[in-house]
Amino acid sequence: MRRRASDVTRNAPAGLHRTGWRRWLVLAVLWGVAILFLIPFLWMLSSSLKPNYQMFEIPPRWIPNPPRWENYTEALTILPFDLYVRNTALITLLTIIGHLTSCTLIAYAFARLRAPGRDTLFVVMLATMMLPYPVTMTPLYALFNRLGWINTILPLTAPAFLGSPFYIFLMRQFFLTIPRDFEDAARIDGANTLQIIARIMAPMALPALATVTIFTFQATWNDFLAPLIYLQKPELYTVTLGLQFFRSTYTTNWAYLMAASLVTTLPVIAVFFVAQRYFIEGITLTGVKG
Amino acid sequence: MKKTTPLLLLLVFGLLAAMFGGCTAQEGSLVATVVVTATPTARPEGAKTVLRVGTGDSGEGLTPHFKIIEMFEAANPDIQVQLEPVGSGDYYARILTQIAAGDPPDLLQIGDDAVPMFVDKGAFLPLDDFIASEQYPLDTSIYLPGVMEPGKWNGAQYLLPKDFSPLAIYYNKKLFDAAGVPYPQEGWTWDDLLATAQQLTLTDASGNVTQWGIQLPGPWTTGFEYWVAAAGGSLVSEDGANFVGYMDSPEVQRAVQFYADLYHKYKVAPPPADMNAFGGGNSEFDSGKAAMRLFGRWPQAGMKQNPNIDLGVAPLPAGAKRAGVLFWGGFGISSLSENPEAAWRFLRFYTGAEGAEVWKDWALPTVKSVADSSGLSNDPIEGVWLNELNHLAPRAYVFTPYWGQTADPALRRVLESVILDPNANVAELVATAAQEAQAALADIQQ
Amino acid sequence: MTDTPSSQRVVRSRGSRLARREALTFYLLISPWLLGLLLFVLGPIIASLGFSLTRWDMLSPPEPVGLRNYARMIEDRLFWQSLSVTVRYTLMYVPSELIGGLLLALLMNQVSVRGIRAIRTIYYMPSVLSGVAFVVVWMWLFHPEAGLINATLATVGIRGPRWLADPNTALTALWLMSLWGLGRTAVIYLAGLRSIPRELYEAAAMDGAGAGQAFRHVTLPMLTPTIFFNLVLSIIATFQTFTSAFVATNGGPLDSTLFFVLYLYRKAFQDFQMGYASALAWVLFLIILGLTLLVVRSGQWWVYYEGEQQ
Repeated sequence: MRRRASDVTRNAPAGLHRTGWRRWLVLAVLWGVAILFLIPFLWMLSSSLKPNYQMFEIPPRWIPNPPRWENYTEALTILPFDLYVRNTALITLLTIIGHLTSCTLIAYAFARLRAPGRDTLFVVMLATMMLPYPVTMTPLYALFNRLGWINTILPLTAPAFLGSPFYIFLMRQFFLTIPRDFEDAARIDGANTLQIIARIMAPMALPALATVTIFTFQATWNDFLAPLIYLQKPELYTVTLGLQFFRSTYTTNWAYLMAASLVTTLPVIAVFFVAQRYFIEGITLTGVKG
Repeated sequence: MKKTTPLLLLLVFGLLAAMFGGCTAQEGSLVATVVVTATPTARPEGAKTVLRVGTGDSGEGLTPHFKIIEMFEAANPDIQVQLEPVGSGDYYARILTQIAAGDPPDLLQIGDDAVPMFVDKGAFLPLDDFIASEQYPLDTSIYLPGVMEPGKWNGAQYLLPKDFSPLAIYYNKKLFDAAGVPYPQEGWTWDDLLATAQQLTLTDASGNVTQWGIQLPGPWTTGFEYWVAAAGGSLVSEDGANFVGYMDSPEVQRAVQFYADLYHKYKVAPPPADMNAFGGGNSEFDSGKAAMRLFGRWPQAGMKQNPNIDLGVAPLPAGAKRAGVLFWGGFGISSLSENPEAAWRFLRFYTGAEGAEVWKDWALPTVKSVADSSGLSNDPIEGVWLNELNHLAPRAYVFTPYWGQTADPALRRVLESVILDPNANVAELVATAAQEAQAALADIQQ
Repeated sequence: MTDTPSSQRVVRSRGSRLARREALTFYLLISPWLLGLLLFVLGPIIASLGFSLTRWDMLSPPEPVGLRNYARMIEDRLFWQSLSVTVRYTLMYVPSELIGGLLLALLMNQVSVRGIRAIRTIYYMPSVLSGVAFVVVWMWLFHPEAGLINATLATVGIRGPRWLADPNTALTALWLMSLWGLGRTAVIYLAGLRSIPRELYEAAAMDGAGAGQAFRHVTLPMLTPTIFFNLVLSIIATFQTFTSAFVATNGGPLDSTLFFVLYLYRKAFQDFQMGYASALAWVLFLIILGLTLLVVRSGQWWVYYEGEQQ
């Protein structure tokens, strides 16, 4: 039987009839958990405004006295964080583009196409995530060194265009939940595989694509070990490399670390705040024709 | 979707660019300007020799590096220096990876206890020929006593000192004055330390401690070497072959027991807030709730700005012996460097009198004339640190390259055990530790 | 391995030419990944297997020692300790991530609540902090004297534990800390929840199903592919836990938080034993692979793929 995509509104109801006390219960739980999640952030905020000697006062103090706003200007100017943000933004953007294009195609193949060796390759793909990074880091460095890629962003971005197991697996799972009818209909209308992926599958998997975008953003933005190893010139440094400069072996500038951490987290939070509508409004934005 | 996602990203990045472009356009700090202007790509590479320098320093600690580099490049136009800093924690992971891949910086900074291993395995060039060379000699008599020793292995010099810190006792004059206790003086002993700490430990009516006598660095093994040395013991034989008979000796037992008693029996030391590294999480001294603190010079600048503290620094107390230990960082030339000559010219400048002149504002200078001319030697605080150099006992790592992977973790276990368990049997613990360390050494040398 | 129903044989009747074409398309589409596998992944993996058969300090050339590194583990107390810490932590964390993440996602999915976008963002916010800042803020909260947790407990007369400084509570403290990052898992669940066709709920409602029944008969089965994904990834990631212990406890006190990968990292970069570290890595690899295969195999009994229904 043939269905039209517009019949399927992928907006599940919340599953709770919110009437009377139930509605209040839901609200109480929602805000209760939210406050629990916020407390450490408020503590970070409070700490970022303290002079360093007030950092571990006994007993702890919520309101810094006096608040030291200079921590922010100093933390962000003592190191060229604007440069680090630009560097990180470029790497992040390229990695997102890489993941969205490559992982969608590869995941579609694993989800839908039958071929000898497919399931074995899938396990091989999972297996590549299982070897701890410290032991592959050295040979990988030697490899990129031979390619002349050290001190370029290539080791950090080029592999993204060749797919990443985590995101391929994620997309595959979502493709597998999409009923085949849509594709079959499109195929009858003469669409080829790439057209099916672009016009049917990707829009149907919009929540998954949003997840890939957000996760890639967050993971790349916060990546530490790879930039540490491959980017050696200070002018190429990323935000996380900048953050670690507030810690040294015997002393740490806690206030600067907290201030800079909070500020450099804002872009990722902003992306999530904006991107979450793609989870919710999803398919209605694109209007798929079956 | 293909249209909307990049759009969304552009929006966010645009926002960001605006946000940060605005706030850092002002003059910025020295480091900021130096990092940005030191961009090698902004210059013609020409025939310049590019020297790469690896350092584990970070943050404000990089400023002296950049200053010295600037001075050196002005005087040596044929050489361009590229600093490659890595903050704490992962520095060794990176340089080991680089060395293994045959691509290390020309000059490498390492800490004292890593010297024997790196040198033993051939990672550094011996410097003696450079030091004695005709064109670029180095007068090694300019240095303060003891600061060249950690850079030596088997009698040859491999690294030159960058900075150092001994251990000493910080004290808060406010708390001493309030209790009417005299400040500690050179010549005081473990008994005096205990008596002073007891006088300064205060409890409230219900028996809770409101002020501690001395904040100790928890299970920090390298700091603990002071107690061993002052008890007249050593942790390893001089040929580096034996831990049994040393780590479990009566002197070491006495050191461990006294350290543990300060925590449990006399209750003059606050229990560690975390068991990480060197008890860095304790904040009693900074909060004005501990009268003394045993540590190195690293946090001193922050303490001077702390209104809870009126800072004094006292020499280490003598046990059976007057002794102290040194913490040290230095630079050497990688044996894989393609420009050892140029590297030497920079190293000599970096760690010599010119460099020390810059370092003195950030750490204790290594060159005696600089310490004297800047008045540091006679300073009531800095003079105490410098005087500790006259009482140094050798650290355990100088006897074996394998200290860090064999006996250090065993000693740490001993310290953690006695700090956590008031009833721990010290004799048994050190005996087990010595045997474990011995077995680990045998395993490595097999 | 197979986690797809074996009912595909019917389709084979489309003929071998079509099948060949489909296989060709498959390999064409995955060719970027295959290329990446050959270029960047396989080489280092094989190299690390090679290292595991040597003694190598990374400063001088490696010397071959055969299987000695593997034999050494049997006698290595810290190998067993780190394995035990990692397994205990996995048993604590994986179930709490699967269930806690789902509960959080159900909360995030309350679309009709005013301000839900802000709440949803709050739930996700901890996950975007860089690893070090995430851990450091919890080190403060857990601080026995200056920490918020014990200060709060003290106001109701409870003397809090010494958390990270006590071998009996350190691992639990790290586990509590990790729950703050559940928003990440919840987002994957949320994407799964939002992908369930509404018509299924409408059909269930027409059959007279209540909210509980709809959850059991529609939401849960439709969510099994997401649960499967989270379970597999959670096992792979939890066995490789590193940052929290590296920053907060460095494995202590008394090795009570010595995670396997932390031990391995210490061997590689602090103890100059890359050969032994590589052998450790391969043992961990085999453990994770075994567990993953078990889960993948079991998938055919409990994972439901709408797209596989013909």
